[in-house]
Amino acid sequence: MSIELRAITKIFGDFTALHDVSVTVPTGELVALLGPSGSGKTTLLRIIAGLETPERGEVLFDGKEATHRTASDRRVGFVFQHYALFRHMSVFDNVAFGLRVKPRRERLPEPAIADKVHELLRLVQMERLSARYSSQLSGGQRQRVALARALAVQPKILLLDEPFGALDAQVRQELRRWLRRLHDEIGITSVFVTHDQDEALEVADQVVVMHEGRVEQIGTPEEVYEHPATPFVYHFLGNVNLFHGRVEGDKVNLGEFSMQLPTGAALDTPQAVGYARPHLLEIELQPTGAPQFKATVRHINAAGPMVKVELVTGSGSVMHAEIAQERYRQLQLRKGVPVFVSVKEMKVFNAPQNMLGGGI
Amino acid sequence: MNGPSLTEPRFVRWGLIAVTLVYLGIFLVIPLAAVFVKALEKGVGVYWAAVSDPAALSAIRLTLTTAAIAVPLNMLFGLAASWAIAKFEFRGKQILMTLIDVPFSVSPVISGMIFVLLFGAQGLLGPWLVAHNLKIIFAVPGIVLATVFVTFPFVARELIPLMEAQGSEEEEAAVTLGANGWQTFWRVTLPNVKWGLLYGVILCNARAMGEFGAVSVVSGHIRGMTNTLPLHVEILYNEYQFSAAFAVASLLCLLALVTLAAKSLVERKVRVGKEAA
Repeated sequence: MSIELRAITKIFGDFTALHDVSVTVPTGELVALLGPSGSGKTTLLRIIAGLETPERGEVLFDGKEATHRTASDRRVGFVFQHYALFRHMSVFDNVAFGLRVKPRRERLPEPAIADKVHELLRLVQMERLSARYSSQLSGGQRQRVALARALAVQPKILLLDEPFGALDAQVRQELRRWLRRLHDEIGITSVFVTHDQDEALEVADQVVVMHEGRVEQIGTPEEVYEHPATPFVYHFLGNVNLFHGRVEGDKVNLGEFSMQLPTGAALDTPQAVGYARPHLLEIELQPTGAPQFKATVRHINAAGPMVKVELVTGSGSVMHAEIAQERYRQLQLRKGVPVFVSVKEMKVFNAPQNMLGGGI
Repeated sequence: MNGPSLTEPRFVRWGLIAVTLVYLGIFLVIPLAAVFVKALEKGVGVYWAAVSDPAALSAIRLTLTTAAIAVPLNMLFGLAASWAIAKFEFRGKQILMTLIDVPFSVSPVISGMIFVLLFGAQGLLGPWLVAHNLKIIFAVPGIVLATVFVTFPFVARELIPLMEAQGSEEEEAAVTLGANGWQTFWRVTLPNVKWGLLYGVILCNARAMGEFGAVSVVSGHIRGMTNTLPLHVEILYNEYQFSAAFAVASLLCLLALVTLAAKSLVERKVRVGKEAA
């Protein structure tokens, strides 16, 4: 089932949690709502579920108006951040809940319910623990029970609020991949909320980046990572180097060097900020004639597939570069060595009013 | 045994325990025992005559009736009020919580007077009640009203912190699973607060049966008609029928003991429930 949100606005007292948000989730996709806390992502998820009512805007399921349908009528599976398992019920009864509250004419007989619950518990590998209570389970186990409970009523849409937020790093990794596999197996339209960029980029088909109640960018993980639409997305997704400078004609002067502006980059203020990811910085031992700036190696972290090099420029600002192990051995970099750095690709934005972080 | 450095010297510990025991003995155990001793002073026959006297039986009946009305009413009110306060945000929530505490902070005598002022012959609604031949003050309805008023905070006070701590995520989960409001209440909300609710009900019941001040003001002390157990004890006592007075009083003491036993049982359950949560 596809989800369409049209111009959703949600106000809590005098705080506007969502401004005019429009998002479309095609049938069968796994979409991440990504943003820092307070960006409105959970509110948006709750609006899809019918747990909050928007002040303005529309929610459509499969093109049909659903804004005014109650949460119990929407048949949407919802997995809560803290799982919200029924504390006085066993794992089995938790999963059976949705099947038992159905109206009598739709309700399965109890043996059929038991079969179905066991099947779901097998799916989430919790069959052995069906008699346990939520207080006797670990975080990862609770998470899986919450998921089985949500799937029991065969929802057309699955919503997950910070599904891995309360788990430790190792379990999180495992569960993340498991969720992706599960999604591919049952093919249910899913939306999950997260503040963890790695999680969003690894698991989702589409990422909706949110900030202060607005959508900053919607795209595939590659699109939002490689081609951020706004400075915020640049900052939020991965490490980034900043270059402050001035626009002159079709060039931007950034401290010690200048670069051609990308064609079609419309800038209406002379103040500009260039953004470049660490892997787009190239390190040379000699000047090559291309635009470069001088820097000194301050720190090297060679553990992992990419070597992380911390550089200090003449003006004292810090840059981060990531180079391949092979290139690192070629250059024989050491602490304190002077180098020349070029930028393979850079995105230039107008300088915002209040800039985050440093840069050249 | 803890290491010596972690605990007080032995004489301090034993001293404190002794003080506590002596204090409890003087102010609790001896008076309670005295009630039973005094009640049975003239033999079981006199005791039995006192508690099976028609006036005593009528007092027992009225006390039970009053509790049977006041406790369920306050249970419903307590559930509704704590639900509203714990699960919804609205203006005047703080004021509502303060109002719920009024019966705790006002002297019971004043609670009784409020109803006399409202429903008495000279009261605000007095003329209207007389015109319609309705009697509230110096009659059973007045006793019930005063008891309801005095006991209404018990259940709400017990449930509000419990429900606030539990939040409404489980209810939301139930709703997204397709449960309607009724199913959510019976299958999720009520089971989660049942021990707290029972605890509140026990306290409410104890107070409903034992209330003296407010009921005394509105009752009129008509023997066999508007006398509750505590009022009956007072009447007997004022008539110098000490053995009878203590015999009836011993019934109230028994009730208190049963309540305490039930309360500690429920407390244990509540604690287990909280640890499990």
